Amino acid sequence: MTPQPPLELDAAAAPPKAHALRGLLARQGVSTWLALATILVFVAIAVLAPFVAPHDPLAQSYLRINALPSSEHWLGTDQFGRDVLSRLVHGARNSLVFGLVSPVIAAAVGTTLGVIAGYFGGPVDRVISRLIDLLLAFPELLLAIMIAAALGGGFWNVVFVIAVAFVPGFARVARASTLAVRQEAYIESAIAVGLRTPMIIWRHVLPNIAAPIVVLMTLWVASAIRLEASLSFLGIGTRPPNPSWGNIIRDGLGNIFGSPWPIIGAGFAITAVVLAFNVVGDALRDALDPDER
Amino acid sequence: MTTSNALLEIENLTIAFGPPDAPVVAVDQVGFAIRSGETVGLVGESGSGKSLTSLAVLRLTPPQARILGGRILFQGTDLLALPEAHMPAIRGRDVAMIFQEPMSSLNPLMTVGEQVEESILLHDDAAPDERRRRAIDLLRRVGIPDPATRLGSYPHQFSGGMRQRVMIAMALACNPKLLIADEPTTALDVTVQAQVLELMRAIRAATGTAILLISHNLGVVAELCERVVVLYAGRVVEAGRVRDIFKRPRHPYTRGLLEAVPRLSDTRHRLTQIPGSVPTPGSTGPGCAFAPRCPDRREICLASRPDLSGDASGHAAACWVQTEPSR
Repeated sequence: MTPQPPLELDAAAAPPKAHALRGLLARQGVSTWLALATILVFVAIAVLAPFVAPHDPLAQSYLRINALPSSEHWLGTDQFGRDVLSRLVHGARNSLVFGLVSPVIAAAVGTTLGVIAGYFGGPVDRVISRLIDLLLAFPELLLAIMIAAALGGGFWNVVFVIAVAFVPGFARVARASTLAVRQEAYIESAIAVGLRTPMIIWRHVLPNIAAPIVVLMTLWVASAIRLEASLSFLGIGTRPPNPSWGNIIRDGLGNIFGSPWPIIGAGFAITAVVLAFNVVGDALRDALDPDER
Repeated sequence: MTTSNALLEIENLTIAFGPPDAPVVAVDQVGFAIRSGETVGLVGESGSGKSLTSLAVLRLTPPQARILGGRILFQGTDLLALPEAHMPAIRGRDVAMIFQEPMSSLNPLMTVGEQVEESILLHDDAAPDERRRRAIDLLRRVGIPDPATRLGSYPHQFSGGMRQRVMIAMALACNPKLLIADEPTTALDVTVQAQVLELMRAIRAATGTAILLISHNLGVVAELCERVVVLYAGRVVEAGRVRDIFKRPRHPYTRGLLEAVPRLSDTRHRLTQIPGSVPTPGSTGPGCAFAPRCPDRREICLASRPDLSGDASGHAAACWVQTEPSR
């Protein structure tokens, strides 16, 4: 066969994937780096909690009730004489684990449902979509409270509750993205080449809907932390005396004139982490936008 | 039209949209055959049913479209009667397809090499090294310079013409017996069109693949095809060898199409056009679908629909009048 003249060379050389990633990182602003650093610090604190915390978070002492911040207790003590900083450090464990595990589970379940509904359409889509609509009809917190009230608190119940509350959102986004991708010519040509449906979904649909799902996941890590705090605050999340940011605030509320430091500390921690995940989520959304490619 | 050595035979294919009790027929009793190694052009305006017909061969018609009747025989097997589970083995290996949108026919997140290798792997369990070697070879055959490097490129780094070449390479991956090209050059620049046509001609010469070329561009068809099937409002109105149809069109619609083609040597100031517009599917009466626009219309044309009738050379037209051209 005669080789064609190279008339259409529009890109000189193909940059490997590593270069693309480096370029992506180089384009990020200061706020993204700060947010990433914040997340990393909190994750490190949560992982290393027993080593980082200056005191036992559960140790009570009548001798040190409502102490002000000092070199011994950096954020003072609560009404039971427990060290506030140590409780915050250990609380980070519960809050971050809930915050990270539930969205991942919700994303896995929700994306599966959404892709199935969007790709196959028809009656399958109608059944799944109505189910999703049903769940969406309840506000997340209300749904979480309902399930938590029925099942009781406890770690896995709370993870389950938050995941269920988030599934509809992921399913909707996944379904809408799949509907759009389904119309793309490359799906049609993949079918025409003889690719079977599971492979088409795995290789061609999922990677192309991954961007919004990943972004949603980071944004909902923040929501999950918030939701866990709310549930714990309402007394159906992490069970006392185990600390989580939510029940630290709850405990602190009754004692706000004794010592404001639990509320200030936990409030600050929640705000910082939620804000950081939101900033990273926004940056991810911009970076993964297909139009930017 | 039935020939014993036909690779693909479409018989009385009828496809409709809409509710079963009031179907809107988009493809109406279409039938034609393609022999091994032959290039057949399927010509018609937008909405004439040419794309739908070609999609039906691979059973890729949209879910709303219902195939009401007919057979599509590929090497004697009726593709319409096969269970869906058997279709992936035919798609790509026996019958491959090139679509008209090269800009969006490649997955933007996979490298060109991954996609070409995927189509090789589908029908042939080759080792990774072997796959890569064959992918490079395919890209070289379709005229992509420096194929070993370009394997690692993403589709957005390719121009439209280059992407269409990649699509052709993917279609050729398993040496299909029939290549369906749905307007392969429509979305491309004219110079690139010529290159792609040249490539398809070279591929046909090298592999002996039969080609079904769908186009509304008569120039493209004249250049590449041996036989032409002209569709109007979902029906075959004329079929025959390219030379016969271009020299002596028998159906007034074909004649109208040919007269509407601009020519460099032309001294006319305005191009001839066919008056009126294509009827929407389902709106035609009992007569010939072209009758309302036809310059040679007779009474019978509005009353009853003509069947395809032709001579021994295979040149046939569905027209009551079948006058010789007056130009």
